[in-house]
Order: sequence, then C-alpha cells, then structure tokens
Amino acid sequence: MLRYIVRRLLGLVPVFLGITLLVFTLLHAIPGDPAVFLMGERATPDQIAAFREQMGLNEPLPIQYLTFLGSLLRLDFGNSIVTGIPIAAEIGRRWAASFELTASAVLFSILVGVPAGIIAAVRKNSWVDNLAMTVSLVGVSMPVYWLGLLLIYLFAVNLGWLPPSGRIGISEGFGFQPITGFYVLDALLRFNFTALRDILAHLILPAIALGTIPLAIVARLTRSAMLEVLSQDYIRTARAKGLLERWVILKHALKNALLPVITIIGLQFGTLLSSAVLTETIFSWPGIGEWIYGGILARDYPVVQGGVVFVSITFVLINLLVDLSYAFFDPRIQYK
Amino acid sequence: MIRRWKRWRRWQPVLLSMVFALTIVLSNCGGSPDATDSPEASSPAASSEQQALVFGLGGQPANLEPGNITDNNSIYVHEQIYDRLVHFEPGTTSPVPGLATEWSASEDGLTWTFTLREGVTFHDGTPFNAEAVRVNVERWWDPASPTGYRDAGRGYEIWPGLFGGFKGDEASSLVSLNVVDDYTIEFVLNQPFAAFPVAIGSGYFGIASPTAIEEAGPDYGTPGSTAVGTGPYVLDEWRSGDRVILSANPDYWDGAPAEEQLVVRFITDPSARLAELRAGSIDFTVELAPDQLQEIEGDDNLEAVFRESFNVGYLGLNTGFEPLADVRVRKAIALAINRPEIVSAFWGELGVSDPHFLPPSMENFNANDLEVYPYDPEQAKQLLSEAGYADGFDLEMYYMPVSRPYFPTPKPIAEAFAADLSAIGINVSLQTKDWAVYIEDSKKPPGFQSFMLGWTGDYGDPDNFYYYHFGPGGTTDIGEWKSDRVIELLNQARAEDDQGAREQAYAEVDKILYDEVVRIPIVHSQPLLAQRTNIQGWNPSPLGSEPFNTVSKE
Repeated sequence: MLRYIVRRLLGLVPVFLGITLLVFTLLHAIPGDPAVFLMGERATPDQIAAFREQMGLNEPLPIQYLTFLGSLLRLDFGNSIVTGIPIAAEIGRRWAASFELTASAVLFSILVGVPAGIIAAVRKNSWVDNLAMTVSLVGVSMPVYWLGLLLIYLFAVNLGWLPPSGRIGISEGFGFQPITGFYVLDALLRFNFTALRDILAHLILPAIALGTIPLAIVARLTRSAMLEVLSQDYIRTARAKGLLERWVILKHALKNALLPVITIIGLQFGTLLSSAVLTETIFSWPGIGEWIYGGILARDYPVVQGGVVFVSITFVLINLLVDLSYAFFDPRIQYK
Repeated sequence: MIRRWKRWRRWQPVLLSMVFALTIVLSNCGGSPDATDSPEASSPAASSEQQALVFGLGGQPANLEPGNITDNNSIYVHEQIYDRLVHFEPGTTSPVPGLATEWSASEDGLTWTFTLREGVTFHDGTPFNAEAVRVNVERWWDPASPTGYRDAGRGYEIWPGLFGGFKGDEASSLVSLNVVDDYTIEFVLNQPFAAFPVAIGSGYFGIASPTAIEEAGPDYGTPGSTAVGTGPYVLDEWRSGDRVILSANPDYWDGAPAEEQLVVRFITDPSARLAELRAGSIDFTVELAPDQLQEIEGDDNLEAVFRESFNVGYLGLNTGFEPLADVRVRKAIALAINRPEIVSAFWGELGVSDPHFLPPSMENFNANDLEVYPYDPEQAKQLLSEAGYADGFDLEMYYMPVSRPYFPTPKPIAEAFAADLSAIGINVSLQTKDWAVYIEDSKKPPGFQSFMLGWTGDYGDPDNFYYYHFGPGGTTDIGEWKSDRVIELLNQARAEDDQGAREQAYAEVDKILYDEVVRIPIVHSQPLLAQRTNIQGWNPSPLGSEPFNTVSKE
C-alpha cells in the first residue's frame, strides 16, 4: 500500500512539469499585457516598455519559464505583478473557502443524487424515475450564473430566508477569528453557534448552485450502476434468503454500485474546485476560482500560474485519495 | 468476524471523534449562555454591531498602498483610510485644503510651496509633517527610495502617467523635493503646471504613515498587513476576497465619522450587489448598470443616487485614413449619427450628450456657444459628395471588447453607429480586439480607421482630459492630427495661474476641437449608485469616490 502511494506520488513529477509548461505556454500565448491592464486607457508605449523591463517580462520565454519553475521548487510563488500581494499567502487565505464550498456542493449532490438514483433504479420507468432524471437534467443544463441569481432573488430578496451572498454576516463577522479557514469547523472549534448558524445559512445557496453540476451525473450514474447490480445473481440469492428488500438494496446492492459513483465524485470534486469561478463570483465567495479569474483578466501571470498549479496538484491528490478509497468499498481490490 | 472487526477498527477513531464533537456541541448548547471567554463576546465591535455601516464595493481593492493603484475599488477604500494634500469640496471638483492648508506657485510657476496642517497624527500615532510627505512622494517618484520596494515588484505606474516620469527621467515634471521646515514642503518642477495641486490631490496619492511602511516592508497594504493613514476611518482587518473592516477615527481633523464602524464588502457582480442592497445586507453601493435603474425605482426601500459625470465616451476618427483626412467627411459622420436617440436608448437618464469633450462637471472651462451636431443625414450626404465621396466608402470601426462606464455595451452601440452611417453610404465593418491589445494597437501607427474609446478623469482639471488626447505625442491614434494652436493653448493654460485666463484658453480649445471633429464626444455618462432609504449624508463626488465620514444610518 505504502509502495503504491509512493509510486503514485513519484508519478506526480511529470504531471507537475506538464502542468507548469502548459499553463506557462497558454498564458503567454494570449495576447495582452499586464501593463495595459494597470494603466488602462492611459498606457503609453514607453511606460509599457519600462514596466515590462522591471517585471522581467522582457527575458526570453524559456528563461522566464525556468525562473518560474525554479522558484516553484523553492515553494516561492512570487508576488502578483498587478497588486503586489504574495501569492503563497493569498492561496493560504483562500483555499479553505474554495474547499468548503466544493465539499458542500459535492455533499449536496450526493445527498440528493444518490437517493434519487436509487429510487429511479428501483422504480425503473415509473413516473418517479422520469421525474428524477428530468429534474437532474434540467439542473445540469441551467447556467450556474443564472441559477445563482434565481436562487438569490427567490430565497434572499423575496422570501428573506437566506443571506444573498458572502460567507458570513456583518455582525457575526466582527471578531470571528478563523483558525483553519474552514468557517464551519472554526465556528465549531470556537463554540460560536450564532456564527455557525449564520455560516451554514450562507453556504446553502452557493452549494446548491454549484452542486447542480455534479447532481445529474451522480444521479444518472447511481441509477445505471444500481440497475446493473440489481440483476446480478447474488442479489437474487439475497432475496431468496428472505432478506428484507430494504437491506438487499441498501447493503448488498448499493455498496457494490457505489464504486463508479465514487470515482466520478472524486473527479467532480477536482472539476468543481476549478470551475467554481462563476459561483464564487456571483456569491462573492472569497475563494481561489474568483481570484484566478481576476488574474486571467489582468494578465497577472504569477497569480494564474501559481493558482492553476495549486489547483491541479490538488486535483491529482484528490484522485489518488479516491483510488485508495476503493479498497474500503471493494475488499477484492488490493494495492501492490 | 475478524474482517468485520478489522473494518470496525479502521473506522473507530472517526466515529469516536464524531461522538466527541457531538457531545461538545450538545453540552455547550445546554450550558451557560453567557460564554464570556469566547473571543466574540470580548470583541469591542460587539456593542456597535447594529450600527455598522455596510458599503457594497464592486470588487476587492488591488492593494491599499497609495501611489501603487489605479482601480476604483482601491481608491474607494483609500479614501476612507488616507488623506491627500489637497481635497475637493464635497460633490464638486473644486480644490479645498486637505493635509495642506494652503499652497502657492512661485512667480515663474516652477516651484509649488505647500503649508501643511499642524496637529495631525497618523492612526499609529506617528506625527504628520513635511518629512512624512517627503517619504511618501519619494517612494512614488524616486526609484532609489529605500521604502519603494521596487525589487519586490512595486511599479507606481500612475506617477509617470500623471507627472511625466520617475526621478532621473528626462520627462519627469518633478525636479526636486525640498523640506523647508516641519510644516512646509516645496515641489520644484521642470515646467509650469497650474494643475499640479489638483493632480497631487487625486485619489491615488494618499499620505501613509512612514513608520508603518517601514515596519511592514514590501507587504505594506496587502491583506495580511497594515495600511495606516490620517483619514476618517482606521483599518482593522482586511479579509481577502471578502471584506475590509474599519472603525471610526474619533480624532479626525475634518469631523469624526457619524458611524463607529464601516464594513466594505467586495461584491463583484452588479446583480448580486443590487440583490444584497434589496435584502438589506448592505446599506449603499456603487457601479450599478443603467438597466438596473428601474429595479431600484420599483423598491420602496431603495433610492437611486447619481454621481455627476466625469468621463467622456468618444468616437475617434483617424485622419491617417484617406477619406477621414478631409474635415468635411468627419463632419458628415458627426451629422449622420443620431446621438440623442442612441444616448437615450443605451443610457436613458444616465447619459448626457453635449458638444464638449470635457464632462459637465467642468463646464466653466467650455465654450458656451456650441451646439451638438444635429442629426441631419441630408446635410451629411451633401458634405460627403462635396468631398468627393458621393458613393460613400468602406470604413473599419473598432468597438471595445470590454464594458466601461462610458460605453457599457460597446457592440450594440457600435451597431447603432454603423446603421446610421450606412444611411449615408458609409459601409462600416465592425471589428474588435482583446482589450489590452486594443489599447496598444490603437496607438501604434497606422492605428484603427475609427474606434470607440473614452476617458475617466484622474483629477478635476481640463489638462487631464486634453493634454493626453490632443497634446504633443497624444494623437498617434488619430493619424498624428495636430493643431499648433491647441498645443499652444494647452501649454499656456498649464503655465497660467489666473483662473479666468485658463477658462478662456480652454474654451478656445473646445471650439477648435468642435470644428475639427477628430474625437466626436458621444456621451458623458453618470454612474448609477443606490442606497437604502435609511442612509443619509452620502454626497457622491464627480471624481469617483468620497470619504464616508458624513454618511449615517438611522
């Protein structure tokens, strides 16, 4: 098992090189200049030249790439060239927010998607099945931006049940000192239950908005995996033994059907982490996606490079964890 | 059985810790409600939390370091923390004393002497004096300043943008900086610059505590660090991507803030900002889109607030492109575009169409006998045929790929221009480029044949609008069009101290530009702001931001 992990981690090295090279090349292939973003309509060719010189943007690209790689290896992500903010520190301040949102979205998709998939499989071709699959399809087809605004207007503006955006309210926010950056956990650790309620209330809408993306996939995959498993011989045996149907489905069938679902959930977690840009923007969520997006618009090379490298490595690591979790769900799988 | 036990062992720690956590939660719920040892209860903010004023800003500030920012989000927060040497009368562009109580130029107009306000201290207790001003100005101007942290990537791009260059550059307007005594400082310039006090008073140049800058090092003004000024509010905390928390400076020299606490939340999306305002979770906000006016007016708890326009959106005509070298053709274009209709369609109440390049907030510098070119396609056609283009010609028109306050929806606006021009036989093909490339390429000869662009003022003086667009070196995007008289007048107004004479010079510039039609002013747009009805004392400045010490909440 340990050997397997080490081998997988070593496999990260070429992945890492590939990611950095790709990000670097793509970013420098987009036309545009950070100096122009900074000075806007005011930029003169002389000032642009001076700025490029100062920021080291006049070096040949291979040299710039090696410099970038070298500082990454020293765990030095550098500073944003637009704002001067140190990138490592900014990732440190923001990653937990993104993780909390992504995890909540995935949780939402599991809590709704798995039961919907099971019911749809058990009542195959019934109206429940059709309804569940249609709803999940609509969910995935609706643009997050639009869905987000819809949720905000319905639940925050018209009904007033939930806060429109942000991570924590104004009065709850005073003096709330995060420890880990995961606000839900921090509120628990601080025994601050007023804040906890408020933080959870802030999480609901963005988690739903973001969670609809994997929801359809989770629901549909659960359904098809369940259908396949339910037709297996051992299920017939279990039923023949006289087990309660509930147990046959939840214990014997579901556990075996879950394997592909878990793979997809793991992949989705990584995808959501990087695609939460719109959700984070519309819900003013102080995460990584919103920050990278701003960096792309401003041609802030170090921010985008650092941010994307961070997200990609996280993505790879999460997939490793998913692979390792197979052993729990299917004891026949062993890692050598 | 053994396998089951193994599996149980694997999950045991997780389950136990969950039970533990649950126990803590439950026991705490039933426990004493006045958990006085929690950090929340001891926070000084707890008492005033109901009163906190909440402002919805259009995004996170780039940083809180004066001289190193150009974005509106930063300037808004700067305005609360820092003062500048020169301030502006609320709601106008007229200069009034800020950290300097008076200022004057020498006979030859080259030396500006500022007398500083006594008895002011920075939020960290450092006294404000001429030395503090020197340290701040040197960081922006002098590449060798030890607290400029240029090695760590500080650029101070705005300084050469407004003052020609850094120390040592030939074009630098500032030649030397002299501390005369504790409360007097002199700026020596290479040529007279009448707008200097107004320019140094622009929102970029807040005066920061030299002690704080030195202590924080290159991180000064970033989320994990500090930002210390003399302004109405003191920075307590900056939560990156989320909010800035400020508390009142009770000793503020220009009147302590009406509210004890100010929270600035960063909400990038305009629809989300308006939703927050309607839900009551923010009290006032800026940078809303023109089409949101109706929604604001439909909500009884909200009020639309208007900021006087301080920008111009124009259509640039490149005289390097043959047909446009003839002024009759340029005039024909001005006559063919139905400005009143376009402005009312795209801006509604929020756009002003007038014949001037300068926004209405500086109307005293305009020629007052000009009329907007009327919509007259017949006369336009006649001018075209006089110029030898009776059959029209093909014209490339570039529209901006991004939304700016002066052109919120560039493409549909460009389509409206194209439709009007096709009526007089000019075939417009619409083009665009990535924003950064757009600006670069427009200035690189030969430039674009025609293009949409605009300008938002940095400070309240015509020089800031005119010199950049019509001064020497400012016309590469319009085929090196030049008017010696305009350049002469602009230089004269730079050197002139007398207000009346300056007004006269700029009025003549206005007239010449009106006749030459190289940049056709299409619109001066008013930014749309909104507040909840229980907010009072907000007086938006045409310059784009204002301190909130007068704003209160009922």
